[in-house]
Amino acid sequence: MSEKLKKTFIVTRFDPDKDEVPKTQTYEIEVEPDWKILDALNHIKDTVDPTLSHRWSCRMAVCGSCGMTVNGEPKLTCKDPLSSYGDTIEISPLANFPIVRDLVVELEGFMEKFQEVKPWIMVAKERAVEEGTTRQSPEELADFKGFSMCINCMLCYSACPVVSNEPEFLGPAALALGHRYNQDTRDEGSHVRNAVFRDEGAIFSCSFANECSEVCPKNVNPSGAIQQAKLANVIDWATSFVVKRGEDVS
Amino acid sequence: MKTLMLKLEPVIWLLFSGGMMIGGLLLPVFVLVVALGGGLGVVGGEALGYDRMLALVTHPIGSLVVLAAMALPVWGGAHHLRHLWIDFGGLGSDSLVGFLCYGTALASSIAAILAVVRLHA
Repeated sequence: MSEKLKKTFIVTRFDPDKDEVPKTQTYEIEVEPDWKILDALNHIKDTVDPTLSHRWSCRMAVCGSCGMTVNGEPKLTCKDPLSSYGDTIEISPLANFPIVRDLVVELEGFMEKFQEVKPWIMVAKERAVEEGTTRQSPEELADFKGFSMCINCMLCYSACPVVSNEPEFLGPAALALGHRYNQDTRDEGSHVRNAVFRDEGAIFSCSFANECSEVCPKNVNPSGAIQQAKLANVIDWATSFVVKRGEDVS
Repeated sequence: MKTLMLKLEPVIWLLFSGGMMIGGLLLPVFVLVVALGGGLGVVGGEALGYDRMLALVTHPIGSLVVLAAMALPVWGGAHHLRHLWIDFGGLGSDSLVGFLCYGTALASSIAAILAVVRLHA
């Protein structure tokens, strides 16, 4: 049995029925050295203070539920080891989101942004079953596979300086997802997405701070996707004067 | 102004990215060769002589490189400044700041074109 360590957690508390503004509460607990931040929060809720609210589910960096700000950095708390911190750890909700309660934030308005980039394969004409499967080379797959690894944990929205200034900005994850479908050889709807990309609050609002890619727990590299989309859109814009754009797709 | 900037974003971004590449890669080499190399006498004498340099910058390719090296980094800086302004919370005055930034870049580009044209006179 490994030796237990004593750690102090300064946790943001907010009860919308009682509090005007969020406050903090301090918990001193004993932790196992191999715990993640989420294990400590669950321990606090289970044994010290059942009123603490935080969101989590899979505990294996797949569901994207447990994003929080740890010592000022957006982190996926189930993946973030306690051993990388000192004796005092500050935990607050993800920045750039409205707080619902304690460490739980409101995601609703942000999730709608994903729909705007039409994150599905659009084709002019549905392929008949008799025509067989659509073939795609490993190189073609590699062009977008990394961008499809997003788990919607929203850490990138929390880290992005543009999100905090421009509420309309579609944001890193949604734009990377749109670019993922533009890169997919099965898709025929890039002209529809590019119109969204070139509109207000989309790719050209990105100031390439690169914070999204820094904090992404799945190495999606949204800022890389957005820069690729910018170049693709410059070429698309220039060629749109000589080549007519796209058929109707759905 | 805002709609015009939005329409021209692909062009502005192309000028910006070109400017950042030149500002990051080409200008340091220019400074290294001409200022340091020349100053320390490593590159010197005839290599940086007036006639040779004039021939270099009046060659069509040389003129284009000099023009790009003068004009594009200003676009890079202008675009950066505008976004820095937004990042610091200045979205409300984006139109004015964009006009000032890109106006300066445009004026610089015209000045650069005139300077290069004068070399050929």
